[in-house]
Amino acid sequence: MKQLKSKRNWARKIIGGLSFTSALFIFQACYGTPQDFETDLLIEGKVKAQATGLPIKGIRVSVTDEGQDLMTDETGSFSFYTIAKDSISLRFEDTDDAQNGSFATKDTVLTDFSKPIFLDIALAEK
Amino acid sequence: MFSIIKQQLFRRFRESETKQHKLSYLFWECTTRCNLSCLHCGSDCSQNSSHTDMSAGDFLKALDTIKNPAPGFTVVLTGGEPLLRTDIEACGREIRKRDMRWSMVTNGILYTKERHISLLNAGMGALTISLDGLEKSHNWLRNTSAGFNRVVDAIGLAAGSQRLNFDVVTCVNQRNFGELAQIRELLIEKGVKAWRLFTIIPIGRAANNRELLLNNAQFVQLMDFIAESRKSQAIDVKFSCEGFVGKYEPKVRDSFFFCRAGINIGSILIDGSISACPNIDRSLAQGNIYTDNFYETWETKFQPFRNRSWTKTGKCASCSNYADCQGNGLHNWHGDKSQVLVCHNQKIENGLKIRI
Repeated sequence: MKQLKSKRNWARKIIGGLSFTSALFIFQACYGTPQDFETDLLIEGKVKAQATGLPIKGIRVSVTDEGQDLMTDETGSFSFYTIAKDSISLRFEDTDDAQNGSFATKDTVLTDFSKPIFLDIALAEK
Repeated sequence: MFSIIKQQLFRRFRESETKQHKLSYLFWECTTRCNLSCLHCGSDCSQNSSHTDMSAGDFLKALDTIKNPAPGFTVVLTGGEPLLRTDIEACGREIRKRDMRWSMVTNGILYTKERHISLLNAGMGALTISLDGLEKSHNWLRNTSAGFNRVVDAIGLAAGSQRLNFDVVTCVNQRNFGELAQIRELLIEKGVKAWRLFTIIPIGRAANNRELLLNNAQFVQLMDFIAESRKSQAIDVKFSCEGFVGKYEPKVRDSFFFCRAGINIGSILIDGSISACPNIDRSLAQGNIYTDNFYETWETKFQPFRNRSWTKTGKCASCSNYADCQGNGLHNWHGDKSQVLVCHNQKIENGLKIRI
């Protein structure tokens, strides 16, 4: 069964390729969107206070140059998708004054994407 | 000679795709509520829809029946206006958890900077926004006094994202027909990379409004406009896959006409119906997620989509282009289905005669 499927896939690629049309396997329905073949990745993590180890709510996590950001939740957690690049620069910033404590900004550059990304970020108190 | 060989090969390819019917594109009609009341709406959506939104849980349960999703499998959120739902991001994250991708069709009114960022954060990878003319003609078709500026802002946001595979769609009608070159310039200026042009099929609210439809000569001019625009690299302009366009086939799209409804494209509609594109006559629904297993239905039913010989009737019965057209886009078959609603090729043939 597997062999038959693989043969069919080859036939599909050969016939498709021979008809010289670039968009055979990339299509969109009349009233739909283009397909998404871009690569992105999921970045998850938790922000804690360096001194106490307690989670910090309301820390702004942003991707430099992408205009993407979000806030950590009650458990200090964050999770978002962003475009895959050779390196991704993140900033962790306390933007809510003293509401959830006062913490210094931290910058991080990600370059290893070989494993799922979960970041443990510790912020120093100001 | 070369083009005949290409066409023959394409027919074989289409046959093979039909046999395999890999589901790679799934519409989810997640709401029929809408914040606009467009003159051309094919689904008769309204602000007070009689249907309640389908719960994410119901949809995900159906999605979970899909075994081995095709590479790049995409769920396309459509409506109504999907952004009226506040849980779109949560739904999107659930879709991504299943190793699937998702995208959305929107009228752009609620597409603010904040929403743009939260949708990207939730893993949205593609987006389509409608722009139906310059200010006056867009607002006329969209039946709103202030839609244009918001949509142009939304287009700017989406076009500025490196992540999104984004395009703008325009329904060409009598009011915006003379503005196409200006719309193209506006989109280039906004950084848009892809623009798809449609004509309006006389269904839903559009059935009785002649101003929405192009005459044959205008349709040929539209084909010429697209063919000409495609020579430039500034923006990728194409005609939608709404119908077979004969002589213009290789010139107005990246590929030959191929209506993939029910072959690679499925849908889960607001009431749970299992079908193909949402604008296809709902009598062609093949099951319902509340009573049937979604993927089993996809695998074992859908015969009217995969064997289209039933469309060889009316003017299609004796048509010499049937082998390539196969009854045109399936959304052109409504009511008793005794006659194709629009024959794009016939419009072209008639339009070219007038020109001569």
